[in-house]
Amino acid sequence: MGGECAGHAGIMENFSALFGGAEPPPSATAASLGFGPGKPGGPGSGPPPVPAVTPVGEEVARKASAASGPFYLMRELPGTTELTGSTNLITHYNLEHAYNKFCGKKVKEKLSNFLPDLPGMIDLPGSHDNSSLRSLIEKPPICGSSFNPITGTMLTGFRLHAGPLPEQCRLMHIQPPKKKNKHKHKQSRTQDPVPPETPSDSDHKKKKKKKEDDPERKRKKKEKKKKKNRHSPEHPGVGSSQASSSSSLR
Amino acid sequence: MAEKFDSLEEHLEKFVENIRQLGIIVSDFQPSSQAGLNQKLNYMVTGLQDIDKCRQQLHDITVPLEVFEFIDQGRNPQLYTKECLERALAKNEQVKGKIDTMKKFKSLLIQELTKVFPEDMAKYKVIRGEDPSP
Repeated sequence: MGGECAGHAGIMENFSALFGGAEPPPSATAASLGFGPGKPGGPGSGPPPVPAVTPVGEEVARKASAASGPFYLMRELPGTTELTGSTNLITHYNLEHAYNKFCGKKVKEKLSNFLPDLPGMIDLPGSHDNSSLRSLIEKPPICGSSFNPITGTMLTGFRLHAGPLPEQCRLMHIQPPKKKNKHKHKQSRTQDPVPPETPSDSDHKKKKKKKEDDPERKRKKKEKKKKKNRHSPEHPGVGSSQASSSSSLR
Repeated sequence: MAEKFDSLEEHLEKFVENIRQLGIIVSDFQPSSQAGLNQKLNYMVTGLQDIDKCRQQLHDITVPLEVFEFIDQGRNPQLYTKECLERALAKNEQVKGKIDTMKKFKSLLIQELTKVFPEDMAKYKVIRGEDPSP
């Protein structure tokens, strides 16, 4: 092991003799100027001369000593303040909200889900009817630089024949079947023998039970009121007809 | 930032609505609606002028071409944003893994080199401004 070490040390010395020894040893002024050997940058790029007491001076002295030692080809370490992939860049740029918004839940596939109020069949590929944005960029329309209003003589070109449009030209008014899809989903849910159907059914049953219970409750209430009225001193002679009418009002 | 887009969005919505109404007039045209059609056509011109004016506020906005591909295919452009964020996070994690592995490798290498070349590594640590004692 010790022999190996000596061998390595010998190689290191040889390398330093080859590269380090060829250059003159760095002078104190050169070191203080910060352009000693082994440091990237030319004489002009170094920092201005500073006294050797400051931390910068210490660093320069350290580098100067490094140049004379075995580590003559050493480069500076990348700065720790530099932004790298070691930090979570999504949190660094405050994009957690966007990430949760788009990646937390399923984004609907169709363009009509993004632009629900846009008329026409927008889910069809643009290449079908030559309405793609790509073609607009690749082959921009030949037109003037400004938009001018259409004057009286020009408007004569827009005189139309009376009557409805032919079928093939009515694509503009066809909307994607959004509501139908929703119904389909509902139908498929009800068709499936899975739990979603059962709560709805049970709800219906509950409602029916409530409806069935209601007349019985009313009768009971009526009977109670009748009894109260009979026993109360304020309404000694109130008949059953009045009581029923008051209950019906409620 | 959002105000710029708000005005553009407003103008685009008005323009689309005008075009929709124009389509309705044209779909079953009556001679009496010619004046209305002419008015709508001129609204269209003014709408385009308004949209063109918004260009000045949005000259610094860049849109990736891939977004246009999504729109041309009739797909939701938010899927592009989603894919971008997912890709960014995956790449971020990948690079973090590489950096962490390299850091581990560095510390292990220094550890092992210190065993073999203690004097040289002491010098190295001095140069790097680290504590030479292991």
